[in-house]
Amino acid sequence: MRKIDLTIEICGSSGDGTLAAGDILAMTLSHLGYHTLSFDVYPAEIRGFGKCVAHTRVSDAPLYSVGRGVDVLVSLNDPYSIEQAPSLKERAVVLFDSWPLKEVGEGECVAGHLKPGNYLYGVPMGELSQRSTHGWRSRNIVALGALAGLFDMDVDGFLERLTSKFKKKAGVAEQVAAAFKAGVDYVRENLLKIDPLSLALDKKPEQKGYALLSGNEAAAQGALDAKCRFYAGYPITPATKIMEILSARLPREGGTVVQTEDEISAIGMVTGAAFMGKRAMTATSGPGLCLMSEFIGYNVMAENSVVILDGQRGGPATGLPTKTEQSDLMMAMFGTNGDAPRIVVAPTSVAECHYWVAEAFYLAEKYQVPVIVLSDLFLATCKTNVILAKIDPKKLAANKVPTAEQMKDYRRQLVTDDGVSPRTIPGTVGGEFVVSGLEQDEEGTPAYDAKTHTMMTEKRHRKMRTALENDVPRPERFGCNGKASLGVLSWGSTMGAVVEAVERACEKGHKVAALKQVVLNPLHVEDLKAFCADCETLLVPELNYGGQFANWLSMHVSAPMRRLCRVNTRPLSYQDVLEEIENISGDGK
Amino acid sequence: MNETAAKPEVFYLDEEISRVRGSGMLSYRSSRLPTWCPGCGFFGIEHALTEAIRELGIKSHELVVVSGIGCTGRYPFFINGYGIHALHGRALPVATGAKIARPELNVAALTGDGDCMGIGIGHLPHACRRNTDIVCVLFDNNIYGLTKGQTSPTTPTRQQTNSHPFGNPDVPLDPVRFVLGAGASFVARGYAGRPRDMQVLFREAFLHKGFSFVHIMSPCVTFDKVNYTYQRLNELIMPLPKRHDFTDLNMAMERALDRELFLGLFYKEERPTFAEQMRSYAERAGGEK
Repeated sequence: MRKIDLTIEICGSSGDGTLAAGDILAMTLSHLGYHTLSFDVYPAEIRGFGKCVAHTRVSDAPLYSVGRGVDVLVSLNDPYSIEQAPSLKERAVVLFDSWPLKEVGEGECVAGHLKPGNYLYGVPMGELSQRSTHGWRSRNIVALGALAGLFDMDVDGFLERLTSKFKKKAGVAEQVAAAFKAGVDYVRENLLKIDPLSLALDKKPEQKGYALLSGNEAAAQGALDAKCRFYAGYPITPATKIMEILSARLPREGGTVVQTEDEISAIGMVTGAAFMGKRAMTATSGPGLCLMSEFIGYNVMAENSVVILDGQRGGPATGLPTKTEQSDLMMAMFGTNGDAPRIVVAPTSVAECHYWVAEAFYLAEKYQVPVIVLSDLFLATCKTNVILAKIDPKKLAANKVPTAEQMKDYRRQLVTDDGVSPRTIPGTVGGEFVVSGLEQDEEGTPAYDAKTHTMMTEKRHRKMRTALENDVPRPERFGCNGKASLGVLSWGSTMGAVVEAVERACEKGHKVAALKQVVLNPLHVEDLKAFCADCETLLVPELNYGGQFANWLSMHVSAPMRRLCRVNTRPLSYQDVLEEIENISGDGK
Repeated sequence: MNETAAKPEVFYLDEEISRVRGSGMLSYRSSRLPTWCPGCGFFGIEHALTEAIRELGIKSHELVVVSGIGCTGRYPFFINGYGIHALHGRALPVATGAKIARPELNVAALTGDGDCMGIGIGHLPHACRRNTDIVCVLFDNNIYGLTKGQTSPTTPTRQQTNSHPFGNPDVPLDPVRFVLGAGASFVARGYAGRPRDMQVLFREAFLHKGFSFVHIMSPCVTFDKVNYTYQRLNELIMPLPKRHDFTDLNMAMERALDRELFLGLFYKEERPTFAEQMRSYAERAGGEK
């Protein structure tokens, strides 16, 4: 059971330092030993003013999903915060600026829009900022001080972390410290705490080497750890961050990042670099993956090792560039012409973004196949504290090199039992070969006869079976053991909500289990069938309209599945899944 | 000029075969026979390109030939080296990625007029301004040959083709003008009927540090009986005047706009390649972490 599980939102206009305050809050809480999961909401259009919300969930146990409802709302801009008021929980706390910058018109104060049972504290943030720093700009820091004071956080630890963040900027650290203290002192001296919420920890948790990372940052780190040496990409939300990180870091590792003219060129360059024996990747979103789809087929045909990360967002077409969705699954599985088997993986957490991007390079290199990593906007941008996995050094060189015997009469497309043909790296004497998007025979000559096409198509599919048997982990089961009244299957970031919901449902006595698989193709069908047989009813929650994952599973198992599909631009919260579990299970438990 | 062209040269087949065998050229030939039509200009281009590679002493295993789709695209199958027969229009990005990944190898991108000036033209100006050290050869026969005679982006206005039986309504693109405008650092034009001249251009293109673009006009004997025929091209072509200064972009553009079909090196500029540029930035940034 979690002792602490609070969702804190800071809401303001851009220019108020809203997102900066959210960033500092998450970073500091994480540093103090809490588990946090945070993300920002802001408009797609770049303009001077707009509503910004920094959303942070904090707990004493690991977090995998967002919570529904807000426990603490900090308002830096009341008109915008009023829009957030409907999501306040019954016992929520609202902190508002009782000394705002602008005169507040009638009905514009958040105080008039609360629900019965909400607690309201006014903090003169503007005044305190002015008094402590001789300026208005530190209202956000005052608000952080008020939060820390009100909810029994380790104030000294918070302050220490805060000043160390600003230590490089002369004078700023002192100002920030003064504003923070002003906030703490004000709530301690002037406010009588009447709400029951607290962030006090029983004992100081041990620091375990957590890093506070977003899915994008973790993915970029995964690429670096897997010795990726070439990245080509075109800016697209939400994948751009990966290019920005690698642009700064790859050159120091002897790698190169190219910003290309379009996504076709990006995957083209990655194809060329991978042919030359370098580990290469690109990251994009749905529209970019569309443009790359011809090259996906090409890399299947030419048996080339490329890694493509798709940070999914609302679609189709340009769709909803800043909203999350999981609707690219079918495209990732099938997008391109012909029979084109490829490996598709969908990490379910920030830590898995790191591990599975690294693993994608290994799988791509070993099986000479494109690997598509499906992330999504929520996973790509949400920050959570993670411990990154160690990458096995043995997996850093996985190319199947031809034997001396095979080199005597080297054939690039040699048909083998496991389906993987030995590959020479360009520059090798006597290892010359040609790859093509045309069907080729073993020697690499274009061949359009039935026998060759059948043989080579089988070879390309056989590799997937080899990969499944040797390198695809078996699915992981959560929740109750043995027979279950309900089984939940999900994928990608939605799996986080499922894991938390099942954990809570089991605590309540429901016989619920969940099955998690990160590799979505190839699938361990036997395990899937066994799980389905164990469960009376099956539920598949995901963020798309028709249930793409449920459709994909239905191609392998015949059990009927209930779908929980949402396209409401938000990630599923664990409550959403829990309610559905309770609806289905009823009181029968 | 016409008088010298009219004088026939006499070749004896057995002498030719022993000359070719002795030259070591065959070591660059793969076991596959070209699939081009007899009389195709591409044989001349292939010969000149292979000769230039041999002349420069580039070894088979150090050579990476990238091509797109079309009659040109088949070239990697006929040469002994590492080859990528890429997608239609995408030779340039693939060649760029290959060269950046392994700068020590020699990378050539071979494209056709439909490949480079049609479907893949989006990549061309960026390859020019990026200045990666690759050689791009445009095999321009101003027709879609592999799909049997449709209009290409370089087909002249009014020419009748299978896709425009009443004549091509569009103005053709001039590849040399295009790449000059896009900032290519090496621009040359050759003619498939002049292998020795082409060989010189290819050699210079390989030696040039940066993106080298060589436009080759080549007859399609099967589907173009009116425009780029050997007879007509022999009459139209003219070497660039001796006083042409290939370091002068204005002059190069003037010659490209001229009604004469000039052959030779139009423009050449020494400037840092993509890799050099990136390396210098990285070195400068290397200190602070």
